Amino acid sequence: MLILSRNVGQSIVVDGRIVVRIMRLEGDTVKLGIEAPPEVPVHRQEIYDEIRGSNREAIAQGNTGVPRLLPKLRPVSATKAGETETRG
Amino acid sequence: MGQPTTSDLAVETKADSRAAAIRVTLAGGILGFENHRSWLLIANPDELPFQWLRADDDPRLAFLVVPPALVNPDYRPDVPTEDVAFLDLRGEQDALVLTIVTLRDTKHATANLKGPILVNRRTLIGKQVVPLNAAHYSVQHPLPVVA
Repeated sequence: MLILSRNVGQSIVVDGRIVVRIMRLEGDTVKLGIEAPPEVPVHRQEIYDEIRGSNREAIAQGNTGVPRLLPKLRPVSATKAGETETRG
Repeated sequence: MGQPTTSDLAVETKADSRAAAIRVTLAGGILGFENHRSWLLIANPDELPFQWLRADDDPRLAFLVVPPALVNPDYRPDVPTEDVAFLDLRGEQDALVLTIVTLRDTKHATANLKGPILVNRRTLIGKQVVPLNAAHYSVQHPLPVVA
């Protein structure tokens, strides 16, 4: 891992187009300013961790029945014949 | 790409003879399951709008998925242009959008709106994407299920 020392107001440039600037320090918190082209996704690491954790939790555990969505949210095609669909 | 037969559909769910399955390739896999790229999207008529996304090489690895529009009609994931280009999505009709459901008990389920799965209906190549506005959505959005 590359480790660089920067002062407040200084920046680093990634790939010639992404600028990460140290905006200010607040106790243990560092405020970063990130300038990146719109197509470059910038997210906190926690978002990836959260999705990964949620995926792990979602693995189907045998013989689980599928829940029934509230009727008004079910598409008509999913409504069985003879079943009354209530909309409201 | 061979069409899987129903005998392949050994998900823990009742393998319905009327089930339809399509094979999709998830580039980069599902976060945390990057080793699995080939998946079967299995639709049992009685379970729609829910479908199963099952790893092609591991029948024990399956996720329940549902279109997010049924979970939150206002769902508007802002998909990075990089992903749109990678998936070669040329219009909204190209994209099949699914969200992974976590069954907590029979009457309680949540959907992950933070990491939707987008599949190009033409190429059957997909990806679990992190929308630019992911922070606005929950990984545990309650599903409006019948109590």
